Amino acid sequence: MTLHADLDAVLRKHLKYVDGEALDPDRPLRDLGLDSMRAIDLLFALEDTFHVVIPDELLTDHTFATGRSLQVTVDRLRRQATQPTDG
Amino acid sequence: MIAERYRDAVATVTAVAEVHAAGNDRHAVFPKEALHELRETKLLGLLVPAEYGGPGGELDDLVDITIELGRHDLSVAMIFAMHCQQVRTLACCAGPRLRAQVLPAVAEGELYLASVTTEPSTGAQLLVSGSTTSLVAGQVVVDRMAPIVTGGSHADAFLITVRSPDGSPNQVDLVYATADQLTAEVTGTWDALGMRATESVPMHLAGAVPATQIVSSHQDYRSIVATVFAPVAHLGWAAAWLGTALGAYSRVIGHIRGPAGRRGFDPGSDLLKTRLATCRANLDVTHALLRHTARAIATDSDIARTGVQLLVNTLKTESAVRCFEVVHELVELAGLRHGYLPDSPLRLERSFRDLRSASLNFGNDRLRLVNGSLALMDTRSDLV
Repeated sequence: MTLHADLDAVLRKHLKYVDGEALDPDRPLRDLGLDSMRAIDLLFALEDTFHVVIPDELLTDHTFATGRSLQVTVDRLRRQATQPTDG
Repeated sequence: MIAERYRDAVATVTAVAEVHAAGNDRHAVFPKEALHELRETKLLGLLVPAEYGGPGGELDDLVDITIELGRHDLSVAMIFAMHCQQVRTLACCAGPRLRAQVLPAVAEGELYLASVTTEPSTGAQLLVSGSTTSLVAGQVVVDRMAPIVTGGSHADAFLITVRSPDGSPNQVDLVYATADQLTAEVTGTWDALGMRATESVPMHLAGAVPATQIVSSHQDYRSIVATVFAPVAHLGWAAAWLGTALGAYSRVIGHIRGPAGRRGFDPGSDLLKTRLATCRANLDVTHALLRHTARAIATDSDIARTGVQLLVNTLKTESAVRCFEVVHELVELAGLRHGYLPDSPLRLERSFRDLRSASLNFGNDRLRLVNGSLALMDTRSDLV
Protein backbone atom coordinates (compact mmCIF):
# COMPACT_ATOMS: atom_id res chain seq x y z
CA MET A 1 0.00 0.00 0.00
CA THR A 2 1.14 3.53 -0.70
CA LEU A 3 -0.50 6.68 0.56
CA HIS A 4 -2.73 8.79 -1.67
CA ALA A 5 -0.58 11.48 -3.27
CA ASP A 6 -2.64 14.30 -1.76
CA LEU A 7 -2.32 12.82 1.75
CA ASP A 8 1.41 12.33 1.27
CA ALA A 9 1.67 15.99 0.26
CA VAL A 10 -0.27 17.25 3.30
CA LEU A 11 1.63 15.03 5.73
CA ARG A 12 5.00 16.01 4.35
CA LYS A 13 4.39 19.67 5.22
CA HIS A 14 3.93 18.80 8.89
CA LEU A 15 6.75 16.33 9.38
CA LYS A 16 10.17 17.63 10.23
CA TYR A 17 12.21 14.55 9.45
CA VAL A 18 11.13 13.31 6.03
CA ASP A 19 13.27 12.95 2.92
CA GLY A 20 12.27 12.97 -0.77
CA GLU A 21 11.09 9.34 -0.77
CA ALA A 22 7.40 8.45 -0.68
CA LEU A 23 6.26 8.15 2.94
CA ASP A 24 6.23 4.67 4.42
CA PRO A 25 2.54 4.23 5.42
CA ASP A 26 3.52 2.33 8.56
CA ARG A 27 6.30 4.52 9.84
CA PRO A 28 5.24 6.12 13.17
CA LEU A 29 4.53 9.79 12.48
CA ARG A 30 5.97 10.67 15.90
CA ASP A 31 9.34 9.39 14.74
CA LEU A 32 9.10 11.64 11.69
CA GLY A 33 8.63 14.73 13.85
CA LEU A 34 4.90 14.94 14.59
CA ASP A 35 4.29 16.39 18.05
CA SER A 36 1.16 17.70 19.74
CA MET A 37 1.63 21.20 18.35
CA ARG A 38 2.16 19.99 14.78
CA ALA A 39 -0.72 17.52 15.16
CA ILE A 40 -3.27 20.30 15.53
CA ASP A 41 -1.95 22.07 12.41
CA LEU A 42 -2.06 18.76 10.55
CA LEU A 43 -5.64 18.23 11.73
CA PHE A 44 -6.78 21.55 10.24
CA ALA A 45 -4.89 20.86 7.01
CA LEU A 46 -6.52 17.42 6.65
CA GLU A 47 -9.98 18.82 7.28
CA ASP A 48 -9.49 21.62 4.75
CA THR A 49 -7.96 19.38 2.08
CA PHE A 50 -10.38 16.48 2.31
CA HIS A 51 -13.50 18.43 3.36
CA VAL A 52 -14.15 16.30 6.41
CA VAL A 53 -14.51 16.99 10.11
CA ILE A 54 -12.51 14.71 12.37
CA PRO A 55 -14.61 14.33 15.52
CA ASP A 56 -13.11 14.59 19.01
CA GLU A 57 -13.38 10.88 19.68
CA LEU A 58 -11.01 10.23 16.78
CA LEU A 59 -8.40 12.74 17.96
CA THR A 60 -6.31 10.00 19.50
CA ASP A 61 -2.75 8.80 19.26
CA HIS A 62 -4.11 5.82 17.35
CA THR A 63 -5.59 7.99 14.56
CA PHE A 64 -2.38 9.97 14.22
CA ALA A 65 -0.07 6.97 14.61
CA THR A 66 0.89 6.41 10.96
CA GLY A 67 0.08 7.56 7.44
CA ARG A 68 -1.98 4.40 7.04
CA SER A 69 -4.11 5.05 10.13
CA LEU A 70 -4.80 8.59 8.94
CA GLN A 71 -5.68 7.42 5.45
CA VAL A 72 -8.13 4.85 6.82
CA THR A 73 -9.74 7.52 9.00
CA VAL A 74 -10.00 10.13 6.24
CA ASP A 75 -11.36 7.58 3.74
CA ARG A 76 -14.04 6.47 6.17
CA LEU A 77 -15.09 10.03 6.98
CA ARG A 78 -15.29 10.89 3.27
CA ARG A 79 -17.45 7.84 2.60
CA GLN A 80 -19.74 8.81 5.46
CA ALA A 81 -19.97 12.35 4.14
CA THR A 82 -21.06 11.22 0.67
CA GLN A 83 -23.55 8.54 1.78
CA PRO A 84 -27.16 9.60 1.23
CA THR A 85 -29.05 10.04 4.47
CA ASP A 86 -32.57 8.76 5.07
CA GLY A 87 -35.44 11.17 4.55
CA MET B 1 0.40 18.60 56.62
CA ILE B 2 3.58 16.56 56.73
CA ALA B 3 2.96 12.97 57.85
CA GLU B 4 4.10 12.29 61.39
CA ARG B 5 6.75 9.78 60.34
CA TYR B 6 8.65 12.40 58.28
CA ARG B 7 8.32 15.40 60.57
CA ASP B 8 11.55 15.05 62.55
CA ALA B 9 13.54 14.31 59.42
CA VAL B 10 12.18 17.39 57.65
CA ALA B 11 12.88 19.56 60.70
CA THR B 12 16.49 18.32 60.76
CA VAL B 13 16.98 19.16 57.08
CA THR B 14 15.36 22.59 57.26
CA ALA B 15 17.39 23.55 60.35
CA VAL B 16 20.61 22.82 58.49
CA ALA B 17 19.37 24.37 55.23
CA GLU B 18 18.47 27.55 57.09
CA VAL B 19 22.00 27.95 58.51
CA HIS B 20 23.73 27.64 55.14
CA ALA B 21 21.20 29.18 52.74
CA ALA B 22 22.60 32.71 52.66
CA GLY B 23 26.22 31.62 52.21
CA ASN B 24 25.39 29.07 49.53
CA ASP B 25 23.39 31.71 47.67
CA ARG B 26 26.18 34.27 47.92
CA HIS B 27 28.84 31.89 46.65
CA ALA B 28 26.54 30.02 44.23
CA VAL B 29 27.51 26.67 45.71
CA PHE B 30 25.50 23.51 46.20
CA PRO B 31 23.81 22.93 49.60
CA LYS B 32 25.93 19.92 50.42
CA GLU B 33 25.14 20.23 54.14
CA ALA B 34 21.39 19.90 53.45
CA LEU B 35 22.02 17.04 51.00
CA HIS B 36 23.99 15.28 53.72
CA GLU B 37 20.97 15.53 56.04
CA LEU B 38 18.61 14.39 53.26
CA ARG B 39 20.79 11.30 52.98
CA GLU B 40 21.14 10.70 56.74
CA THR B 41 17.42 11.10 57.42
CA LYS B 42 16.66 8.83 54.40
CA LEU B 43 14.36 11.48 52.98
CA LEU B 44 16.14 10.93 49.65
CA GLY B 45 14.38 7.57 49.63
CA LEU B 46 10.91 9.05 50.23
CA LEU B 47 9.35 7.68 47.04
CA VAL B 48 11.08 4.29 47.12
CA PRO B 49 8.42 1.56 47.48
CA ALA B 50 8.48 -0.59 50.62
CA GLU B 51 9.53 -3.69 48.68
CA TYR B 52 12.85 -1.95 47.93
CA GLY B 53 13.39 -0.81 51.51
CA GLY B 54 11.86 2.67 51.24
CA PRO B 55 8.91 4.16 53.15
CA GLY B 56 6.68 4.04 50.05
CA GLY B 57 5.89 7.75 50.24
CA GLU B 58 3.07 9.13 48.08
CA LEU B 59 2.93 12.21 45.89
CA ASP B 60 1.11 14.05 48.70
CA ASP B 61 4.15 13.43 50.91
CA LEU B 62 6.40 14.82 48.18
CA VAL B 63 4.22 17.93 47.96
CA ASP B 64 4.04 18.44 51.73
CA ILE B 65 7.76 18.04 52.30
CA THR B 66 8.77 20.12 49.28
CA ILE B 67 6.55 23.01 50.39
CA GLU B 68 8.25 22.95 53.80
CA LEU B 69 11.75 22.85 52.30
CA GLY B 70 10.77 25.70 49.97
CA ARG B 71 9.86 27.88 52.95
CA HIS B 72 13.50 27.76 53.96
CA ASP B 73 15.53 27.43 50.76
CA LEU B 74 14.14 27.14 47.24
CA SER B 75 17.36 25.61 45.90
CA VAL B 76 17.16 22.76 48.44
CA ALA B 77 13.47 22.23 47.68
CA MET B 78 14.10 22.03 43.91
CA ILE B 79 17.05 19.67 44.34
CA PHE B 80 14.91 17.39 46.51
CA ALA B 81 11.85 17.52 44.25
CA MET B 82 13.83 16.82 41.07
CA HIS B 83 15.65 13.93 42.73
CA CYS B 84 12.25 12.49 43.76
CA GLN B 85 11.03 12.89 40.16
CA GLN B 86 13.87 10.64 38.99
CA VAL B 87 13.16 8.11 41.77
CA ARG B 88 9.45 7.98 40.92
CA THR B 89 10.29 7.46 37.26
CA LEU B 90 12.63 4.58 38.06
CA ALA B 91 10.14 3.03 40.48
CA CYS B 92 7.32 3.22 37.93
CA CYS B 93 9.02 2.58 34.66
CA ALA B 94 12.40 0.85 34.93
CA GLY B 95 12.69 -2.89 34.42
CA PRO B 96 12.81 -5.17 37.50
CA ARG B 97 16.57 -5.62 37.27
CA LEU B 98 17.36 -1.91 37.18
CA ARG B 99 14.86 -1.20 39.96
CA ALA B 100 16.48 -3.83 42.19
CA GLN B 101 19.90 -2.43 41.37
CA VAL B 102 19.11 1.22 42.14
CA LEU B 103 16.17 1.67 44.50
CA PRO B 104 17.55 -0.01 47.67
CA ALA B 105 20.58 2.29 47.52
CA VAL B 106 18.30 5.33 47.06
CA ALA B 107 16.29 4.21 50.11
CA GLU B 108 19.54 4.12 52.12
CA GLY B 109 20.39 7.67 51.09
CA GLU B 110 23.38 6.52 49.07
CA LEU B 111 22.23 7.83 45.69
CA TYR B 112 21.40 11.41 44.82
CA LEU B 113 19.98 11.47 41.28
CA ALA B 114 20.19 14.37 38.86
CA SER B 115 18.18 14.91 35.72
CA VAL B 116 19.80 15.53 32.35
CA THR B 117 17.20 16.71 29.86
CA THR B 118 18.45 20.03 28.48
CA GLU B 119 20.27 20.05 25.17
CA PRO B 120 22.21 22.68 23.29
CA SER B 121 20.00 22.20 20.19
CA THR B 122 16.54 21.65 21.63
CA GLY B 123 16.54 23.44 25.01
CA ALA B 124 14.40 21.69 27.57
CA GLN B 125 12.05 19.87 25.16
CA LEU B 126 11.58 16.41 26.62
CA LEU B 127 10.37 14.69 23.48
CA VAL B 128 13.22 15.62 21.16
CA SER B 129 16.90 14.86 21.52
CA GLY B 130 19.84 15.87 19.38
CA SER B 131 22.23 13.67 21.36
CA THR B 132 22.96 10.65 19.23
CA THR B 133 23.87 7.31 20.77
CA SER B 134 25.03 4.02 19.43
CA LEU B 135 24.67 0.48 20.64
CA VAL B 136 27.97 -1.40 20.72
CA ALA B 137 28.17 -4.93 22.11
CA GLY B 138 25.18 -4.46 24.40
CA GLN B 139 26.41 -1.09 25.65
CA VAL B 140 24.75 2.28 25.04
CA VAL B 141 27.46 4.75 24.14
CA VAL B 142 26.55 8.20 25.46
CA ASP B 143 28.38 11.38 24.47
CA ARG B 144 26.30 14.36 25.33
CA MET B 145 26.47 18.04 26.14
CA ALA B 146 23.99 19.29 28.74
CA PRO B 147 23.79 23.08 29.19
CA ILE B 148 22.06 23.00 32.59
CA VAL B 149 22.31 20.12 35.07
CA THR B 150 20.93 20.95 38.51
CA GLY B 151 23.37 19.62 41.10
CA GLY B 152 25.24 17.86 38.29
CA SER B 153 28.67 17.85 39.88
CA HIS B 154 27.26 16.48 43.17
CA ALA B 155 25.08 13.71 41.72
CA ASP B 156 25.81 10.03 42.26
CA ALA B 157 23.81 9.07 39.19
CA PHE B 158 21.84 10.59 36.33
CA LEU B 159 18.71 9.97 34.29
CA ILE B 160 19.66 11.16 30.83
CA THR B 161 17.55 11.73 27.73
CA VAL B 162 19.31 10.66 24.55
CA ARG B 163 18.31 9.94 21.00
CA SER B 164 17.66 6.20 20.60
CA PRO B 165 20.57 4.36 19.03
CA ASP B 166 20.36 5.19 15.29
CA GLY B 167 16.96 6.85 15.83
CA SER B 168 15.49 10.15 14.61
CA PRO B 169 15.50 13.16 16.98
CA ASN B 170 11.93 12.27 17.99
CA GLN B 171 12.95 8.80 19.13
CA VAL B 172 14.15 9.45 22.65
CA ASP B 173 15.32 7.07 25.34
CA LEU B 174 15.81 7.64 29.05
CA VAL B 175 19.05 6.10 30.29
CA TYR B 176 20.27 5.57 33.84
CA ALA B 177 23.99 6.05 34.44
CA THR B 178 26.03 6.28 37.63
CA ALA B 179 28.62 9.01 37.91
CA ASP B 180 31.44 6.45 37.88
CA GLN B 181 30.20 4.97 34.60
CA LEU B 182 30.67 8.31 32.90
CA THR B 183 33.24 10.96 32.41
CA ALA B 184 31.27 13.92 33.72
CA GLU B 185 33.12 17.10 32.90
CA VAL B 186 31.86 20.47 34.11
CA THR B 187 32.36 22.79 31.15
CA GLY B 188 31.39 26.14 32.64
CA THR B 189 30.07 27.94 35.69
CA TRP B 190 26.70 28.76 37.23
CA ASP B 191 26.53 32.41 38.20
CA ALA B 192 22.82 33.12 37.90
CA LEU B 193 20.44 35.80 39.18
CA GLY B 194 18.73 33.32 41.50
CA MET B 195 18.52 29.60 42.31
CA ARG B 196 22.23 30.02 42.80
CA ALA B 197 22.67 27.09 45.20
CA THR B 198 21.31 24.63 42.63
CA GLU B 199 24.73 24.90 41.01
CA SER B 200 23.14 24.07 37.66
CA VAL B 201 26.33 23.75 35.69
CA PRO B 202 26.86 22.89 32.02
CA MET B 203 28.31 19.41 31.59
CA HIS B 204 29.74 17.05 29.06
CA LEU B 205 28.77 13.45 29.82
CA ALA B 206 30.47 10.61 28.02
CA GLY B 207 30.71 6.88 28.61
CA ALA B 208 29.02 3.56 27.97
CA VAL B 209 26.40 1.83 30.07
CA PRO B 210 24.78 -1.60 29.67
CA ALA B 211 21.64 -1.55 27.52
CA THR B 212 19.79 -2.92 30.57
CA GLN B 213 20.09 0.61 32.00
CA ILE B 214 17.73 2.03 29.37
CA VAL B 215 14.70 2.97 31.47
CA SER B 216 12.53 3.23 28.41
CA SER B 217 12.71 2.18 24.87
CA HIS B 218 11.41 4.96 22.67
CA GLN B 219 8.07 3.19 22.25
CA ASP B 220 7.06 3.90 25.81
CA TYR B 221 9.18 6.97 26.54
CA ARG B 222 6.37 9.32 25.49
CA SER B 223 3.99 7.65 27.87
CA ILE B 224 6.53 7.91 30.70
CA VAL B 225 6.82 11.65 30.06
CA ALA B 226 3.04 12.14 29.94
CA THR B 227 2.15 10.02 32.95
CA VAL B 228 5.11 10.32 35.34
CA PHE B 229 8.06 12.48 34.36
CA ALA B 230 6.24 15.74 33.55
CA PRO B 231 3.40 15.47 36.11
CA VAL B 232 5.77 14.75 39.02
CA ALA B 233 8.13 17.53 37.88
CA HIS B 234 5.30 20.06 37.75
CA LEU B 235 3.97 18.98 41.16
CA GLY B 236 7.43 19.26 42.71
CA TRP B 237 8.24 22.61 41.14
CA ALA B 238 4.87 24.11 42.08
CA ALA B 239 5.26 22.86 45.66
CA ALA B 240 8.77 24.33 45.91
CA TRP B 241 7.67 27.72 44.53
CA LEU B 242 4.59 27.79 46.75
CA GLY B 243 6.75 27.00 49.78
CA THR B 244 9.10 29.88 49.05
CA ALA B 245 6.27 32.36 48.42
CA LEU B 246 4.56 31.12 51.59
CA GLY B 247 7.74 31.46 53.63
CA ALA B 248 8.26 35.04 52.43
CA TYR B 249 4.63 35.92 53.12
CA SER B 250 4.69 34.45 56.60
CA ARG B 251 7.92 36.25 57.51
CA VAL B 252 6.40 39.56 56.41
CA ILE B 253 3.25 38.98 58.50
CA GLY B 254 5.39 38.00 61.49
CA HIS B 255 7.45 41.16 61.03
CA ILE B 256 4.41 43.43 60.80
CA ARG B 257 2.97 41.87 63.95
CA GLY B 258 6.28 42.13 65.86
CA PRO B 259 7.63 45.18 67.71
CA ALA B 260 10.05 46.28 64.97
CA GLY B 261 7.39 46.02 62.29
CA ARG B 262 4.84 47.92 64.34
CA ARG B 263 7.17 50.90 64.24
CA GLY B 264 7.66 50.64 60.47
CA PHE B 265 4.19 49.60 59.27
CA ASP B 266 0.70 50.83 59.99
CA PRO B 267 -1.42 47.65 60.35
CA GLY B 268 -4.48 49.89 60.00
CA SER B 269 -3.49 50.89 56.47
CA ASP B 270 -6.02 49.91 53.78
CA LEU B 271 -3.23 49.56 51.23
CA LEU B 272 -1.33 47.13 53.44
CA LYS B 273 -4.42 45.03 54.00
CA THR B 274 -5.42 44.82 50.34
CA ARG B 275 -1.85 43.90 49.37
CA LEU B 276 -1.75 41.14 51.96
CA ALA B 277 -5.15 39.89 50.82
CA THR B 278 -3.93 39.76 47.20
CA CYS B 279 -0.89 37.74 48.27
CA ARG B 280 -2.97 35.38 50.34
CA ALA B 281 -5.39 34.86 47.44
CA ASN B 282 -2.53 33.95 45.11
CA LEU B 283 -1.20 31.50 47.68
CA ASP B 284 -4.59 29.89 48.25
CA VAL B 285 -5.35 29.63 44.53
CA THR B 286 -1.96 28.06 43.85
CA HIS B 287 -2.37 25.67 46.75
CA ALA B 288 -5.85 24.63 45.60
CA LEU B 289 -4.61 24.03 42.04
CA LEU B 290 -1.62 22.08 43.34
CA ARG B 291 -3.74 19.77 45.53
CA HIS B 292 -6.37 19.34 42.83
CA THR B 293 -3.73 18.39 40.26
CA ALA B 294 -2.02 16.02 42.71
CA ARG B 295 -5.33 14.27 43.28
CA ALA B 296 -5.97 13.99 39.54
CA ILE B 297 -2.52 12.50 38.98
CA ALA B 298 -2.99 10.04 41.83
CA THR B 299 -6.50 8.92 40.92
CA ASP B 300 -7.30 9.54 37.23
CA SER B 301 -7.45 6.35 35.20
CA ASP B 302 -5.84 8.01 32.16
CA ILE B 303 -3.28 10.69 33.02
CA ALA B 304 -2.29 10.95 29.37
CA ARG B 305 -5.74 12.23 28.33
CA THR B 306 -6.00 15.80 27.11
CA GLY B 307 -7.83 17.28 30.09
CA VAL B 308 -5.30 16.00 32.63
CA GLN B 309 -2.34 17.07 30.49
CA LEU B 310 -3.82 20.57 30.22
CA LEU B 311 -4.23 20.68 34.00
CA VAL B 312 -0.71 19.43 34.68
CA ASN B 313 0.75 22.12 32.40
CA THR B 314 -1.52 24.82 33.81
CA LEU B 315 -0.26 23.98 37.31
CA LYS B 316 3.26 24.78 36.15
CA THR B 317 2.50 28.05 34.35
CA GLU B 318 0.05 29.42 36.92
CA SER B 319 2.05 28.52 40.02
CA ALA B 320 5.13 30.10 38.44
CA VAL B 321 3.28 33.35 37.75
CA ARG B 322 1.39 33.56 41.02
CA CYS B 323 4.24 32.66 43.37
CA PHE B 324 6.44 35.29 41.75
CA GLU B 325 3.58 37.79 41.96
CA VAL B 326 3.32 37.15 45.69
CA VAL B 327 6.94 37.96 46.39
CA HIS B 328 6.86 40.91 43.96
CA GLU B 329 3.92 42.35 45.88
CA LEU B 330 5.68 41.71 49.20
CA VAL B 331 8.75 43.63 48.00
CA GLU B 332 6.49 46.55 47.14
CA LEU B 333 4.79 46.32 50.51
CA ALA B 334 7.99 46.00 52.54
CA GLY B 335 9.86 48.78 50.76
CA LEU B 336 13.56 49.34 50.17
CA ARG B 337 14.98 48.30 53.54
CA HIS B 338 13.24 44.93 53.90
CA GLY B 339 12.25 44.30 50.30
CA TYR B 340 15.43 45.09 48.42
CA LEU B 341 18.43 44.64 50.69
CA PRO B 342 19.96 41.18 51.00
CA ASP B 343 20.67 41.45 54.73
CA SER B 344 17.02 41.86 55.76
CA PRO B 345 15.85 38.94 57.94
CA LEU B 346 12.74 38.80 55.73
CA ARG B 347 14.94 37.53 52.85
CA LEU B 348 12.56 38.91 50.23
CA GLU B 349 15.44 39.88 47.98
CA ARG B 350 16.61 36.26 47.66
CA SER B 351 13.07 34.88 47.33
CA PHE B 352 12.42 37.42 44.57
CA ARG B 353 15.55 36.44 42.64
CA ASP B 354 14.87 32.74 43.13
CA LEU B 355 11.22 32.89 42.12
CA ARG B 356 12.02 34.95 39.03
CA SER B 357 13.27 31.67 37.56
CA ALA B 358 9.89 29.96 37.89
CA SER B 359 8.40 31.07 34.58
CA LEU B 360 11.66 30.26 32.79
CA ASN B 361 12.21 26.82 34.28
CA PHE B 362 10.71 25.01 31.28
CA GLY B 363 9.45 28.25 29.73
CA ASN B 364 5.86 29.26 30.37
CA ASP B 365 5.57 30.52 26.79
CA ARG B 366 6.50 27.13 25.40
CA LEU B 367 4.12 25.29 27.71
CA ARG B 368 1.28 27.63 26.78
CA LEU B 369 1.89 26.85 23.10
CA VAL B 370 1.48 23.16 23.92
CA ASN B 371 -1.65 23.87 25.95
CA GLY B 372 -3.13 26.01 23.17
CA SER B 373 -2.74 23.12 20.76
CA LEU B 374 -4.20 20.64 23.25
CA ALA B 375 -7.11 23.03 23.88
CA LEU B 376 -8.03 22.98 20.18
CA MET B 377 -8.20 19.18 20.33
CA ASP B 378 -10.73 19.27 23.14
CA THR B 379 -13.99 20.58 21.68
CA ARG B 380 -16.14 19.59 24.64
CA SER B 381 -13.66 21.15 27.03
CA ASP B 382 -14.48 18.86 29.92
CA LEU B 383 -12.75 20.03 33.06
CA VAL B 384 -10.90 17.55 35.22
